[in-house]
Amino acid sequence: MNSTTTQFVPSRRMGLYEPAHQMSMWGDFRLDSPPPPPLMLEVNANSNNQSEDTFGASHRNDQEASKPDDKVLRRLAQNREAARKSRLRKKAYVQQLENSKLRLIQLEQELDRARQQGLCVDATQLAYAGNTNPGITAFEVEYGHWVEEQNRQVSDLKNALHSDMGDMELQIFVDGGMRHYFELFAMKVTAARADVFYIMSGMWKTSAERFFLWIGGFRPSELLKQVLSPHLDDLTEQQRLDIVNLRQSCQQAEDALSQGMEKLQFILAQAIADGLLREGNYLPQIGAAMNKLEDLVRFVIQADHLRQETLQQISRILTIRQAASGLLALGEYLQRLRVLSSCWSSRPRDVCVSKI
Amino acid sequence: MQEAIKIPTSLNAENSVRFLRRDEVRRMVAESAVVVVGRRGCCMSHVAKRLLQGLGANPAAFEVDDKCEDDVLAELRAAELPVVFVGGRWLGGLDRIMASHITGELTPLLKQAGALWL
Repeated sequence: MNSTTTQFVPSRRMGLYEPAHQMSMWGDFRLDSPPPPPLMLEVNANSNNQSEDTFGASHRNDQEASKPDDKVLRRLAQNREAARKSRLRKKAYVQQLENSKLRLIQLEQELDRARQQGLCVDATQLAYAGNTNPGITAFEVEYGHWVEEQNRQVSDLKNALHSDMGDMELQIFVDGGMRHYFELFAMKVTAARADVFYIMSGMWKTSAERFFLWIGGFRPSELLKQVLSPHLDDLTEQQRLDIVNLRQSCQQAEDALSQGMEKLQFILAQAIADGLLREGNYLPQIGAAMNKLEDLVRFVIQADHLRQETLQQISRILTIRQAASGLLALGEYLQRLRVLSSCWSSRPRDVCVSKI
Repeated sequence: MQEAIKIPTSLNAENSVRFLRRDEVRRMVAESAVVVVGRRGCCMSHVAKRLLQGLGANPAAFEVDDKCEDDVLAELRAAELPVVFVGGRWLGGLDRIMASHITGELTPLLKQAGALWL
């Protein structure tokens, strides 16, 4: 982009002037570059006229003192500078256009995905689209695949249970189903480290799922109470007792975690509120709060750990067939929640007519 | 050999500070039926304490200053705080007590150590 390193452009003017002079003059006219915007043409046009003059002038005043040459050289330098600045401005503008284009594509993709998941598309959703966190973007893509696989597994389980498949084969489906949930927990840990607020707010879930959110996911005791217990008919007395005990243990563990969360909220609020109405900047308070937020990631990890342990304990208590039914029930339950979200966001809305 | 580790002990008074020698740490741990060693102000050790209290136990809580954390971890041979001891023996971190509660192992352990009276 240096105007002095120029391509040697052949011209019929060549023969008239000294090579050195010609190089410096022709430095302004990059005839190999793309068609310049009007502004540049103006500059070049001016240079052209001036060069015409200077060509004539330097030819006429070849033997004269350096004074006209000074003016000429200065004008040429100014032209070069103007042209250079113009090129830089154009480059910056094009770069900005490219970035906007990429952002637009990204937003469109977000919108499509949101519509597919039945999310209520509002400003807050798109606000996250503007948060270009690669860890979160990656998680959202992976989660999309996870849901697709989940739907496949649900229909496979349904078919398997209605067939006269043996326990050995059913075990494979049960193991696969469990592993699928554990994979989601692993994905969530990575995403939580990228943006813990995203996970805590359940941003990747549909709206109805988010209603039931507890520390970034489902509440294990609710799973036992609402989804499993009512639908497992052939439980032995021991199994019934074990499920009751498990539900109580879950409840106790959840309470402990919830109380820890309350303490974290209290500490965080305290850190932020420290020194309100006082003079001076509040950067130290922000810094202190940032440190405390690290603990939030540990809560996500512990809550998912609890979910995983609960699922594993359930599979220990139940027979293979019962476990398969349980996984199917859970899968269908989550599917229904997603459908509910979709229906809710696309329901016909009453038009409010304001009374003037 | 016996370095002084400043570990503020808080059973009831958060402000009382005692200098514990390294060997004393082990003794303190052995003395109580159930002990939670945690970082001061850490919400995770709060979770551990609440869980144990919810089961009817009364854990002794030792809070460690940030500066001493590495020393204590080295002494206890632990990776992370909080750490729970039952009956003078190492049980584990928060994962471990959560998991052992879900599997039903924790309550018998606590009873065995005399931490529960049910």
